[in-house]
Amino acid sequence: MKQRARWSVVLVAGLVLAGCGSASEPDSSSGGSDGKLVVWDWKSGDPSAASYIERAKADFARKHPGVTVEFVAQPFEQYYTLLGAAIQAGKGPDVMLFNGGGQIRDRVDSLVPLDEYVGDDRQRLAGWEAFTKDGKTYAAPVTLQGHPIYYNKSLYQRAGLDPERPATDWNEFVANCQAITRATGAKCFAQGNKEGIGIQFFLSGLGSGVLPPQEYDDWVAGKRNWTSPGVKRVFSLWKEVNDQGLNNDGASSTAMFNDAFAVFQSGKASHVIGLMSDIGHWKDFAEFLEARNVGVMKSPVVTAGTTPSLPYDGGIGYAVAKWTKDPKAAADMVRSLTSTDALKVFYADAGAIASDTTIDVSSAGPAVATIVSETKDGKPALHVALSSKTLDLMGRLSQQLLSGSVTVDKAVEELAKSDRAG
Amino acid sequence: MLRLWPLLLGVNFSFTGDGERNGTAVGLDNYRDLLEDPLFRGALRNVGLLVLLLPIAVAIPGLLATFIYLRVPGHRLFRGVYFFPAVLSPVIVGAIFNLLLAFDGPLNAVLGGAGIGPVDWLGNPHVAMFAVVGVHIWATFGMALVVFLAGFATLDGALLDAARVDGASLPQTIWHVIVPGLSRTIQFVFVTTMIGMLTSMFGLLYIMTSGGPEGSTYLPEYYIWIQQGQMNRPALASAASTVLFMIMVVVGLLQLGLLRRSGRTE
Repeated sequence: MKQRARWSVVLVAGLVLAGCGSASEPDSSSGGSDGKLVVWDWKSGDPSAASYIERAKADFARKHPGVTVEFVAQPFEQYYTLLGAAIQAGKGPDVMLFNGGGQIRDRVDSLVPLDEYVGDDRQRLAGWEAFTKDGKTYAAPVTLQGHPIYYNKSLYQRAGLDPERPATDWNEFVANCQAITRATGAKCFAQGNKEGIGIQFFLSGLGSGVLPPQEYDDWVAGKRNWTSPGVKRVFSLWKEVNDQGLNNDGASSTAMFNDAFAVFQSGKASHVIGLMSDIGHWKDFAEFLEARNVGVMKSPVVTAGTTPSLPYDGGIGYAVAKWTKDPKAAADMVRSLTSTDALKVFYADAGAIASDTTIDVSSAGPAVATIVSETKDGKPALHVALSSKTLDLMGRLSQQLLSGSVTVDKAVEELAKSDRAG
Repeated sequence: MLRLWPLLLGVNFSFTGDGERNGTAVGLDNYRDLLEDPLFRGALRNVGLLVLLLPIAVAIPGLLATFIYLRVPGHRLFRGVYFFPAVLSPVIVGAIFNLLLAFDGPLNAVLGGAGIGPVDWLGNPHVAMFAVVGVHIWATFGMALVVFLAGFATLDGALLDAARVDGASLPQTIWHVIVPGLSRTIQFVFVTTMIGMLTSMFGLLYIMTSGGPEGSTYLPEYYIWIQQGQMNRPALASAASTVLFMIMVVVGLLQLGLLRRSGRTE
């Protein structure tokens, strides 16, 4: 008994002492031992990325013959959990892959600003904004990611519509959809919002047709007015589309990845707001529908006076960790991973729209050609500007909007609160 | 010591901040955040719901084991079939039921054939949690069934024969002979089923609902995972872990007390 009491005293004392200090030392430096760079990503294990990694490694070896590079492919579902643990321990990879937007902006404390190293690549690569916070760039873009509206040209044809002239105005768009549904039974949108991702694609895919250009730019710049008529219109449109039966049934229990895309690929819906790179994109759709039947359109004009544009950002990009021993060598690794030579291979093998705007894509079908031509006037996607916390909340609120358990006013109020907090 | 030390570090970590306040002591801020987060409150409510559904999760294998023990026709086949799902991993079970319960899936097709409108099993916030718990019970009751069958092996056959001679009906036999005879087994199954429900639903939730719709199927475990991995708030996740640990300690102590008391009365 005495023994036990003594132990309790020791434990409690330890707890109190430790509680006064901090549990973690964010600035402790380790990892990146001399002559070796460790790169973390979730791509290098894919067979389709193998030759891309080879090219990048060869390019880097020419510049730094004495440095060995080790690629560690992590499973994507666990990636940010593992990375979070590594950051917490102050130990981890020297170079790491990030998704643009919230995922990297939440973690810039642990990254080296790359501006002084990547100056020469500025013009050649597109999509820098997604990796920028407070004027500093933290990663170099590898792919572009965005949300084109894909449509099924053969369904347009069967409904007697001209597949080369998709609607430019919302009412016309809805009328076309209804004609297609009458003729073929296909719904207007393939929608999957089980994970709360559908609303993100919807906001970005149609946002440029709803928000006036100035408000759009302000939103991306961080000046967001959630109670403006435009923002409310996006969310009321979200509900309206579902209430009018334009979505496939059960949107809240359909996963965007990949059930919603499967609905589009199997011709059960005429449109889908998809992605540009990696998955749910022109290459996937072309496998089922044939490349010539996959069309890409801009958002129809929902509010008069808007100028629809392609929403896109840097998709994935490599960043350098603060604790690396030799930031210059690590930054050179990032530059090798974004060299034209390597990216050309990545585009061809993996079916990604590469960040390098000098790559020729004319042979990959009309959808890719349209997407690449639209990147010139494209703008950053609206949802990418939001924090992961706000996106998570938006996912839940969007489901509540569809089931009618929250009003548009209440939803934008909660989103504004979360957005202000952070 | 090896077990307690990491635990204490975790508790200590829950009093530090996230993001810009990383590493600084923030007192009880994380716990305040938790209490104010409707998502975490929903997760705790769902734990309560699991406790309420516990009797059903115990009664189903109990009844089925009784039927097998009483040698209903085909009882050998049923014994194997009932146990089969217990060897499947939650990921596989979740994937199977995702297909079965999809809005345009076979279950709704059957309901439609019977003239009942389709139910959005995993998309309706009032239904989804019950759907997931139902699948969890389906997937795990085989193990409890085996425990019950083992309990029946210790039951005195003479009592059943006596009941039969006295002309007792089946419900009377169950209530007056089988339940009292198996009280310790029933308590054991209660404890293990509760632990199973509180600790091993993550896989199913992850595959079937991802916590949705509307956050209605969050459990504390899933909340911890989201905060740590997706929201980059490890300290808040530590606070949530500490709360979950406290709940488990309380539940565990209650159950230990229950087991000990029943041990004494025997």
